[in-house]
Parts: sequence; structure tokens; C-alpha cells
Amino acid sequence: MSVSASAVPVLVARDLEVVRAGRTLAHVDTLELLPGDVHVLLGANGAGKSTLLKALNGLEEARGTLELEGRAVATAAARLALRRRTAAVFQRPYLLATSVRHNVESGLRLRGVARAEARRRAAAALDLLGIAHLAARRPDRLSGGEAQRVSIARALAVDPAVLFLDEPLAALDPPTRRTLVTELLDIFAARAMAVVWVTHDRDEALAVGDCVSFLEQGRIVQTGSAVDLFAHPASASFADFLGLDAYLEGEIVNAADGSTRLRLASGVEIACREAADGPAVACLPPEDVVLFAGPPAEHSTSLRNVLPGMVKSVSPSGRLLHVVVAAESTEIAALVTRAAAEELGIEVGGYVVAAFKASAVHPIARHERRLS
Amino acid sequence: MDLIWNGVVEALRLLFGGDGSIYEIAWRSLWISGLALVIAVAMGVPLGAAVALNEFGGRRVVVAATNTGMAAPPVVVGLLVSLFLTRNGPLGDLRWLYTPWAMVIAQVVIALPIVMGLSLAALQQIDVGMRQQIAALGASRLQGFVLLLREIKVALLAAVMAAFGGVISEVGAVMMVGGNIEGQTQVLTTAIVQETRIGRWSVAIALSIILMILAFGANFAMTVVQQQGRRRA
Repeated sequence: MSVSASAVPVLVARDLEVVRAGRTLAHVDTLELLPGDVHVLLGANGAGKSTLLKALNGLEEARGTLELEGRAVATAAARLALRRRTAAVFQRPYLLATSVRHNVESGLRLRGVARAEARRRAAAALDLLGIAHLAARRPDRLSGGEAQRVSIARALAVDPAVLFLDEPLAALDPPTRRTLVTELLDIFAARAMAVVWVTHDRDEALAVGDCVSFLEQGRIVQTGSAVDLFAHPASASFADFLGLDAYLEGEIVNAADGSTRLRLASGVEIACREAADGPAVACLPPEDVVLFAGPPAEHSTSLRNVLPGMVKSVSPSGRLLHVVVAAESTEIAALVTRAAAEELGIEVGGYVVAAFKASAVHPIARHERRLS
Repeated sequence: MDLIWNGVVEALRLLFGGDGSIYEIAWRSLWISGLALVIAVAMGVPLGAAVALNEFGGRRVVVAATNTGMAAPPVVVGLLVSLFLTRNGPLGDLRWLYTPWAMVIAQVVIALPIVMGLSLAALQQIDVGMRQQIAALGASRLQGFVLLLREIKVALLAAVMAAFGGVISEVGAVMMVGGNIEGQTQVLTTAIVQETRIGRWSVAIALSIILMILAFGANFAMTVVQQQGRRRA
């Protein structure tokens, strides 16, 4: 879904700020959206994602610069024009009290499209979402998934320059969510549609976003490709949000051979990603830690860090077990299957060896660590 | 019992015998109340929407005043309108007191808070998210207003029915500002009062039957419209 560097941004926001009662609810320094981009606004509840989305969609008045297809959006009339070139889908489908067909036609009719043409385009959108058979139904006779499909069909029917999605899958069950994500990504790719997708779900962001911006207290604190962003969270709070909650504290030492190591308080050094010398904390995703019953044979693993320790706690985490190991004056968390835990004889107080790659240890400057 | 039975028989004879004066009174009732209702709806729905959809200082006072107006005694409304229209009143130069126009004004004053209050309450029930969705669909303010009214169609028709019921059956205010002048300002309710006072039971019963038919007919028509959506669902 990438677009050449010469492509003209369809939506540009610069120093865009939503202020209410003297308080900044959302702020973005620069955001440019190219045709075909799926840009995810990720953050915890209350981070200002939806407010920012509404500002970008002309639903909220905002200071700063907003341009759609090269035209400035500065007045109420321009905001209406923006809303008529874009479409939005919210967490709840918000269908009008009329038939599905009329709902899907509604955006077109409000834009002055003739009835016959609106009907034709609505039928095409219903077909696209696989809900043509629901055309005559009324919203109160639809399931949650069907209603959201209608809402999405209504948005796609107007062929928007930008599609704004505000937690569109949050109210749906996991199987429906998975199916809809796949279908939507296919549609976006086929139409080279620019999309702003708000979510608080890390997995959803990873699944859909070409580019992800992490928001905190109304501000974008980090932007990048989904894979890169998730591998290199720039702040401890983002690392926390991603679930990288196991911290290793120590001092970064860059050796002459070019390797980077984190020296723990006990004096033990562990290999880690590149970082500047100095005090630091590093996060270590539990899913990147492998547990062994005893020291692994050197030739049997490529894991450079091997730390023996004692099991401090074992707690369920979905279908897996979250095991905390006390090792070398620090704590390391690991996720293991129940079968593996049984095979390894993992129990609180038992001996275990934790091993992990250097690339799994991601140092963050010490001052960024959230105080808890 | 004979009194009632004979009254009903005589009333039916008057109704189907084509007594012109009875139908004249019925028509006057209908157009005065109908016109008052149209004015009240034309003013009350936008006013209700303005209060429901906007935040402004004194909003609570306006809502409380509207709710109070919904229960305003018709005689108080009659007094108020009389004060304005009496020869020495602010609108005395219009010379509308004891004319059908004064009765229309009084009925507007009665119906307006009902329409405004009920549409306000219905619009307030609409989720803010729905209002945002309508705006996001590309609706202008006017288009959004029309779509919102469609969303509260059932409640809106209930408001119209309540207001019509209130004005067509009201007697105190129209008696005070209209004067119950035969052939000019006499409507069904004031005529029923007069005919009952002088013991012409059959005429009173005939007028009552017409009043009930009018009230039922109007409500039935609006109920049919109101329930259309439900049948289609």
C-alpha cells in the first residue's frame, strides 16, 4: 500500500490543536496522509485519539493548519466541504431509523447525488461488504457485525478521499473482527484509499497500520511503521502500553568490539540493542524470553543472554502462563504454554534458566521510565 | 335515562339532518385549532431543537419555563392574551379581542410549550454520537436538523397529538378571548358549555359527538403515520 514519494498528500495537518476551556485536548505537529496510507492513531483511552480524528474530519473546531487535497480548511463552510469529501465510521454504527438501503444512500443524497445514482452506488457498496441481502432491513433487525458493515458500506459509498475510522471494530467479537479487517484492508488497497484508523488495540494497530502514531495526553509522541514502532518504543509509557512491562535496570556499556551491553546492579552484563553509554533501563518483551529447566547447551541455542534464577510467581495470561523469574538482582518475565510449564516443572521457588536474544533487550534512557 | 337516550337520538337527527349551524361551529373549531397547531409546530419544533442542541447561559431556565408552560392553566393564558389584546393593552390597536384571531393566539400560547417541550425532550434523548455521525455524513445544519426530526418522528407526532388534543378540547381561554359570540367566535367547546347551561341537551350531545369524532379522527390519522415505521420493520 505504499505510495511513491512524489505523491501529493491528500490530508495535511500542521500545528493542529483542539483547545477547550483553555485545555489542549489534542495537538499534532505535522501529519501528512498520502493516498493509500492507512495511518493508525494508537493510544490508551482518553489519550485524545478520537478528538484528533474529529479535528481532522472537521467535526471539531481546531486551531492551526488543515488542508484537504491542497485546500485550506479554515471556515465552517470549508469544514462541511471536508466532511463531504471524506467519511467516518465510529465505534457504534449510528444507523438512521430507516432501511439499510436508505442508510447507505444517505451520504450520497446529502451530497446532492440523484436518487437513481445514489441507489446504484449504494447497491455496489452493499455488494462490496457482502450485505446486499440486508438492503430492506431496518437497523433494529441487524446484528452488531451487520450494523457495522452497513455503517462501513455507507462510508465507502461516497468514495471518500479520506476514510476516518474511530475504533470501528471495538464492539465486535474476535472472529467478526478478523474477517472484517481482512476485507477492509483488501478494499483500501484496491481503492488506494487514505485511511485514519483510531484504535487502542495494539494487535489491531499492528495488523492494519502502514504507519502508526502513538498518542499520549493528546499529543503524538512517536510515529513510525508499525513493526518498527513496536520494536523500538521511544518512551517507557509506550513500552508499558505495549505490555513490555519487565524492566532491566543498569548501565549501558559500549565495548570496543562494537557490542552493546547492559551492566546490571549485580555486575552481570547482558547483550542488548544499540544505545548510548550511561544509566538506562531496558524493556524485555515476555514473549521473547525462553525458559529452560537447566543451562542450555551452548550449541543448542543462539540466545546470547542466559540468566539462571528462581521462579517468583506464575499467573495465567490468556491461554499462556506469565512466569516471573528473579535473576541477578532483577526480575524477568516470560510467557510459556501450560504444556511447556508442566514439562519444565515450573513452580514457585523452583530453579529455572531464562534466555533471550540481545535484540529483544531494548534500552530506554533512564529518565523516561515511568515512576510507579 | 330517557333524558340521555332522547338527547342522543335528537343529536343524531341534528347531525344527519344537516343542521348548518352545528357544522359551522365544528368548522370554526377545526380551522382555529388547526391554524394554532400549525403555528405552534412551526415555532415550537425549531425552538425545541435550538434549546436541545445548543449550550447557552440560562438554558435551564428556558427548559423549566417550557415545562411550566406545558401545564399552564388555559384561564391564565386567556387572561394573559386578554391583557395584551384589550383596547388599552400593548396590542389593543389590532382590535383582535373577541375575534377568532385572539382565539388562535390563545391556542398557540397553549400548544407552543407542549410542542416545544416534547420535541426538546425527544431531541435531548438522541445520542451525541448520532449527531456527530449525521454531521460526518456530510449534512449541512439544515439537513442535519431534518434528519434529526426524522429520528424523533414518533415522539414528534406524539407532541403534535398532545398539542391538538390540548387546544381542540380547551374551553377557558377561547371563552375569555373569543367571547363565545354566536356565528363569530363560538366553537365546539364553548357551544357545549352554553347549550348545557340552557338545558338544550340534544344540541350539547351532538356537538360533543362531533368534538369526539374530530379528536379521534385527528389522533387516528397521526397514529397511522406514527406506526407506519413500526409495521415496516
